[in-house]
Amino acid sequence: MASSILSARDIRKSYGSTVALDGVSLEIEAGESLALMGPSGSGKTTLLHLLAGILTPDSGEVGWNEHGSWQRVDQMKESRRSQLRRESFGFVFQQGLLIPELTALENVALALMIDGVSRPQSEQRARQKLAALGLEGMEDRRIGQLSGGQAQRVAIARAQVADAEIVFADEPTGALDSHTSEDVMTALLGATTGQGRSLVLVTHDETVAARCSRLLRMRDGRIVQQTRSIPEHPGITYTEARS
Amino acid sequence: MTLRVAWLLARSGTGSRAATLLPIVAFAVVTALLLVVAGGAQAFWSWTDQTAGVYQVLSAIALALLVVPLLALGGSAARLSARRRDDRLSTLRLLGATPATVARLTVLESTALALAGAVVGVIGYFALVPAVALIPFRAEALGIPALVLAPWAIAAAVAGIAVVAAVSALIGLRQVVISPLGVRTRQNAPRLRWVRVAVGAAVIALALLLTNIVQIDVGITVIAIVLGCLFGGTLAVLNLVGPFVLRLMARRQVRRARTAAQLLGGRTVLESPKAAWRQVSGVAMTSFMAVFAGTGVAVLNAISGSEGATASDRALVTDIGTGLTITLVISFLMVACSAGVNQAADVFDRGDLYVNLGYLGMPRRIMDAARERAVMWPLVVVAVGSAAIAAIVVLPLAGYTLIVAPLSLLTIALSIAAGIGLVWAAMRLTRPVLTARLAAAA
Repeated sequence: MASSILSARDIRKSYGSTVALDGVSLEIEAGESLALMGPSGSGKTTLLHLLAGILTPDSGEVGWNEHGSWQRVDQMKESRRSQLRRESFGFVFQQGLLIPELTALENVALALMIDGVSRPQSEQRARQKLAALGLEGMEDRRIGQLSGGQAQRVAIARAQVADAEIVFADEPTGALDSHTSEDVMTALLGATTGQGRSLVLVTHDETVAARCSRLLRMRDGRIVQQTRSIPEHPGITYTEARS
Repeated sequence: MTLRVAWLLARSGTGSRAATLLPIVAFAVVTALLLVVAGGAQAFWSWTDQTAGVYQVLSAIALALLVVPLLALGGSAARLSARRRDDRLSTLRLLGATPATVARLTVLESTALALAGAVVGVIGYFALVPAVALIPFRAEALGIPALVLAPWAIAAAVAGIAVVAAVSALIGLRQVVISPLGVRTRQNAPRLRWVRVAVGAAVIALALLLTNIVQIDVGITVIAIVLGCLFGGTLAVLNLVGPFVLRLMARRQVRRARTAAQLLGGRTVLESPKAAWRQVSGVAMTSFMAVFAGTGVAVLNAISGSEGATASDRALVTDIGTGLTITLVISFLMVACSAGVNQAADVFDRGDLYVNLGYLGMPRRIMDAARERAVMWPLVVVAVGSAAIAAIVVLPLAGYTLIVAPLSLLTIALSIAAGIGLVWAAMRLTRPVLTARLAAAA
């Protein structure tokens, strides 16, 4: 619990008569990478959105450890949750969803400018993040002029430019071929767990999930299985079934 | 086969309901305003007395002036209805539908929506007629019978709207037919050349030359032709140079942007200066008209105040003032509708992007500010720029004193302010569209 940065307790969420999440509890630790897998409609994306404060649960608690003080995300006002998402969380989506008319640099810098950081300072930090992700020299390219993998790395830079403590990724490699997918995962893990930050990602790809330190399998709005890799012995995992 | 597929697409879920309703509303507004204007013109053309000729010529000019914003609004509505279907039409192409099938479907859908809107517009027209009938000309209300158009005229207007929709849909969806995967792919921002400015300057110079010729004693026909060329030529110049000027200004704004909204607004214009111009080009027309109207009002005021003016002269002056006001108001309404329709379409087009910007923590006010900046500053540039060009062109005709007469300046300033205000109001009205889109994702 001491190293947990985000927790969910018995959270439930329904859309009309459809139960999306049915009493899910979990803790996310600092520096870990957590993969959420499961068939379509199993509640992965809803769980991701609840943890990220995009949605609020019908019941249950979502807690955020803000420098040692636990805050109830589910009880925050939308403006406060937006602020939390800007300052502490990062997001990477399947298609990157970058703004097509902006350059790579502007897309990354925008995340800071929204938070009131000056443009020169935002662009300086954005430039550093892009360079760290191997995109030096591509700062002035528009998104349409980048490959799918490069665009996803821009999205990763955007997610981490504010030094987010946790990055949420919804099928970040879903639209990529296997080779590019591997590169993007390397970049994503390097920019998050590699810097002591956490990563929560939704994926359908076993190869992608296998690179995370923990895997949760979901079905019908519940976590049905948890698999942890043992850091001291990479490749060795233990699995526990959860009811 | 096309009809069956069109029916399947038309029956799609509730998600597309707003996307379907919006073009219908836009076409309804176009039709209602078109019929009201035509009804007004008809009222004058039914007169047979001595002064009827003046009214008839002036109403023909007013109709001609309103054609541009009317076509712009019709085009916006058609593009909107066509763009709603981009995704599914592209998918159909991927599934093997031929370009001809997609073209037929596009025309069919847009025309159907236009027809539905036009029918609603006809109802709107009949609802407006009693109010418009109260407007006085020659010290008498126009009256309902004078404004009611013949059934064949109404049918012709509805058919005309459908044709505008069909043609605009075909033009708007050329990309889908050419490349099913390329609809959303944007590469380099389109380049606009300096040659536009050179051509524009040449036309303005020619217009100035013509206005000087008009001052020489020539026949009425020559004056009419020259005035027509003057109006048409300078408007064409505005259309030619406008996007280029917007691109230059947007580049400057992007370089100097300090906030997220300024950067996004500037980049949106820079992405497609032509699209930005299209949204506000109606105001170019109205600003242009405002200068003519302002000068005209000053001229009329001088005439009616002169000692030799008869009662009939004064009545004519009052009526011309009324006509100018009506023309300006209708023109502004169409521009405002056009801006609203385009902005609502933008929210639909980029809905996913806005939702995800919301996920990133971008407050809705910044999204709204960026959208509004992308329209409002080109609008101000266009309004003031057009008025300035109009003043240059009118100068040899009216003379400096009349243009800067307090009444002229007041009319021009009020007209431009009203136009900008209406577009701003139309933009504000689209805020709930974005709010609803964001709420639907939460």
